[in-house]
Amino acid sequence: MEIVVCVKPVPDPETRLRGSADGTTLDIEAVKFVLTGYDESAVEQALLLKEAAPGSKVHVVSAGPSPRTEEVLRASLALGCDTATWVETPPGVGTDPVAAARALGRAVAALPHDLVLVGKQALDDEAGVVGAALAEILGVPDFSAVVDLRWDAGASRLRFQRSTDLGTETWEAPVPCLVALQQAWNDPRTAKLPAILKSRKQPIAKAAPDPAPAGAGASRPAKFELPPPRTGAKLIEFKTPEEAAQKLVKVLQEEAKVFP
Amino acid sequence: MTAPVLVVGEAHDGGLSDATKEAVGVALGLAAPENVAGFLAGPTARAACLAFGKFGVSKAFAAEDPRLDGAVTAVVAHLVAGSADALAAGVVLAGGTVFGRDLIARLGVRWNAAVATGVTGLSRAGDALEVRRPIFGGRATETRKLEGSRIAVALRPHAFTPPPEGSATPTVTPVSLDSVPAPLWAPKRSRVEATPRGGGPSLGDASIVVSGGRGVRAAENFHLIEELAASLGAGVGASRAVTDAGWRPASFQVGQTGRTVSPQLYVAVGISGAIQHLVGMVSSRVIVAVNSDASAPIFKVADYGIVGDLFQIVPALTQEVKRVRGL
Repeated sequence: MEIVVCVKPVPDPETRLRGSADGTTLDIEAVKFVLTGYDESAVEQALLLKEAAPGSKVHVVSAGPSPRTEEVLRASLALGCDTATWVETPPGVGTDPVAAARALGRAVAALPHDLVLVGKQALDDEAGVVGAALAEILGVPDFSAVVDLRWDAGASRLRFQRSTDLGTETWEAPVPCLVALQQAWNDPRTAKLPAILKSRKQPIAKAAPDPAPAGAGASRPAKFELPPPRTGAKLIEFKTPEEAAQKLVKVLQEEAKVFP
Repeated sequence: MTAPVLVVGEAHDGGLSDATKEAVGVALGLAAPENVAGFLAGPTARAACLAFGKFGVSKAFAAEDPRLDGAVTAVVAHLVAGSADALAAGVVLAGGTVFGRDLIARLGVRWNAAVATGVTGLSRAGDALEVRRPIFGGRATETRKLEGSRIAVALRPHAFTPPPEGSATPTVTPVSLDSVPAPLWAPKRSRVEATPRGGGPSLGDASIVVSGGRGVRAAENFHLIEELAASLGAGVGASRAVTDAGWRPASFQVGQTGRTVSPQLYVAVGISGAIQHLVGMVSSRVIVAVNSDASAPIFKVADYGIVGDLFQIVPALTQEVKRVRGL
């Protein structure tokens, strides 16, 4: 099976957030961009499927500016992806999720793709748009909120479950299609040193983004705000557990007004 | 900008889902009632469309076909784009469900729309629409400008209130399925198993969430968390320590690699408050922490804290909540 997995470099989750000088977006000065969260798990899922179906290949694709995009592609190669494709876009294109899907579209279409895998959403803008938008560009069905994905080689079908608002749905689908994974693995594999060294020399194919069609809408960030810092908990003083419970319920009712 | 607004709904128990009602409320804030239309796809869409009338919506599009029960979102996106064009809509709104978000994403391409998801606030700004949405797991908020003659927005669940009920009978326009490409019918949904909830709301839906962490110490103690949640009518969550240990399944996990929740009240019990957990719950309106360690980082983000032994505090709290609620 030919598997394409799309990843996005995002700020390290431990990064301290700060607004940019013009206040429109995140200040990326001194931010370390990494492969993490749902994207890292999408790579892990791609590699698990490859291992279960010998002869499969995993192609990783990312769109974004230098150098962060190249770095997450090399990280994916070090984990075991077979080829990497970089759609170099100017900074800012990734802030419109539909533009990001368009940037990926041509590159993914040019690769053999039985299955296109993406994570549920990027950990930065949390739009969760690229998967379904990319599927629309490719003209294939997409399935979001997917858990427990398997390839049934005998029937040439993907079998999986979706965790949606209806509950747990059981599906089977022919390829090609796009799958957006609901879950993140807590312990995806880590790259071994020889693979990391090798990944530095592996070729990365370059692809050009598709421009937006005339008249297409645009979504752009206009303001970035941090919540006022929380000042720390008001601690309930008590002598007995019963007193603590009574005081807490009272304060939730009367002060916080969150309790009926 | 006065172009009509199309609300893509989901039917629920013969009426409109809560997410759909919230979207109708938003639509009525953006356009006059006669410029708002509804859309439903499903085996009984025509009858269900009448429910839009309850909220003063006078027009609706119904794609009715047995195959739409379990159809892929691509099919519905195809039909919605056609209806939006027929209406000459400027804005398409959907609720903050898995379906709503996928649909809006597809309209970004199929309908060439400017798109935003997870939206908690929106207003007109000249010809553009300005939307607010939490990002970075609620650690920041962005305002986004959506520009163009076509805008598609998925809301965040519970961020808006449903409109008051009225009464009208909408004109329902049937939507033909003839143009749907045949391959889109190939995927098959064989089964839907409603999430067992033990009577409580699901984690994503709940306006109160009670989560347990490592401090609970063992799977057999987790019932303390669940009993407190039951008394509050709350959803039950857990930290990664709990799901990694197998005390509860991964679907309970709140945090970076689990679910992000933003209820009105979040009660963290025996959770130290690692950043990976905080990003999943920090946008909750009010946070309560119960922990025996006064220096636990959870107390830095909590509004109210009880430093004490959860094995004593939690049962007392459950009793008190039951007493106050007359349970």
